[in-house]
Amino acid sequence: MKKQYAFFIDAERCIGCFTCAMACKNQYHQPEKVIWRQVYPLDEEIYPYTERAFYSLACNHCENPTCLNVCPVKAYYKREDGVVVHEQEKCIGCGNCIRSCPYGAPRYNPEVKKAEKCSFCWQRIDAGLKPQCVQSCPVEALQIVDLATFDKPGAVQYPPGFPKYPKLNPSVRFVLPRLPKIIGREDI
Amino acid sequence: MSTIEMPLVLFSVLSQTAIGLVVINSCRQWAADGPAKTDRGQWGIVLAFLITGMAASFFHLGHPLQAYTALKHLGKAWLSWELLGISVFLCLTLLGFFMVKGKNARLVTTLTALVGVLTLLFMGMTYAPPGYPAVNNVLPLVFFLITALLLGTGFSAWVAPSAAKPWLTRILTVTLIVGVIVYLIVPCIWLSGGTSMAQTGWTWFASPLYWGRVAVGLVLPLAVLWRIKDIPLWLPVLILLGELMGRAAFFRDTVHAAANIGGLQ
Repeated sequence: MKKQYAFFIDAERCIGCFTCAMACKNQYHQPEKVIWRQVYPLDEEIYPYTERAFYSLACNHCENPTCLNVCPVKAYYKREDGVVVHEQEKCIGCGNCIRSCPYGAPRYNPEVKKAEKCSFCWQRIDAGLKPQCVQSCPVEALQIVDLATFDKPGAVQYPPGFPKYPKLNPSVRFVLPRLPKIIGREDI
Repeated sequence: MSTIEMPLVLFSVLSQTAIGLVVINSCRQWAADGPAKTDRGQWGIVLAFLITGMAASFFHLGHPLQAYTALKHLGKAWLSWELLGISVFLCLTLLGFFMVKGKNARLVTTLTALVGVLTLLFMGMTYAPPGYPAVNNVLPLVFFLITALLLGTGFSAWVAPSAAKPWLTRILTVTLIVGVIVYLIVPCIWLSGGTSMAQTGWTWFASPLYWGRVAVGLVLPLAVLWRIKDIPLWLPVLILLGELMGRAAFFRDTVHAAANIGGLQ
């Protein structure tokens, strides 16, 4: 398998502090409501315990990105390391990528009237640094991995609460939150 | 799709009306016993719908002056094919308008109709994105074909000779019946799908735009046709109003897959 950078989300560790989302905002200063990384709480149907569980999600830099496929002006390209880059200067603001991505990654920036999305901080990657969201996570719940060598037992690609699109093959892996141990009288 | 997207509503409905008009005119020519050329008035009305729709589409773009660059990705993007198709359709319509009395007039009409049908296919693919599971299939194409036939037949009654009226009335009646069946059954099928599809079904059923589309654009015109067995001049306007409401519901009330991240899919 070719090199493919991916986000690894350890939902067992994530405490839903939004530091990753704030770090992204601090790095790129997107306008209000233009969000590249979002922290989604899991519904009670999926994780029915008072200890909340979260997925921190941004662009999944899919192996077969629909944003790249549907963009009529070729504003997207995929790097050798698998990162999907949006060249905003080419964008005409048609919104086709925004409608097409099932993960809601590309967003419309009303100030520049163009789409934009998570860049995987490729400039930081090229400088040997981690993406800002990964760098900022206080509990190391968000990490960067290379799927060509990634082999963590128990990691899944499509956990409950994450849309399943095998054709796109999103470059993201999860560790699910553990269920709390309930101690009953019979356990004592 | 969360907002009404009025420029896209106008572009898609009006351009599909133009395509429907040419298709019906072409069919009428081949079905007629004698020469039944498309006259300049008929081409004019096609141009009026098409140019108005295309003008509206520019308001959808953040940078309309760069719209021509959308032709760059013909290798993969259906939107590029849609733009190519509608541009060729416009050129052929202009050709038809200026050479109505030429010996190849019928050939131009047929060619324009074929390009129009292909453009409908490209439009259907463009508006069937993975982000909207309920319409990530052949349904947009089916909706667009119904729009083209309804409005194409309806507005043809404005310009076609009176001898063609019974033929147009029959086509319009059958298309309205098909439209009623499709638009009532499709949301019911969505209810038995995944979370996003079921949500789309319920959202459509709760939408005044959807019911307005069924009542004003389909049931009422069908009742009029059943009652007077003819296409009055105001009927296509009523159908157009219904189509605009229906397309607005298509864009506003179809639920995006990302709306359920964190919940059951």
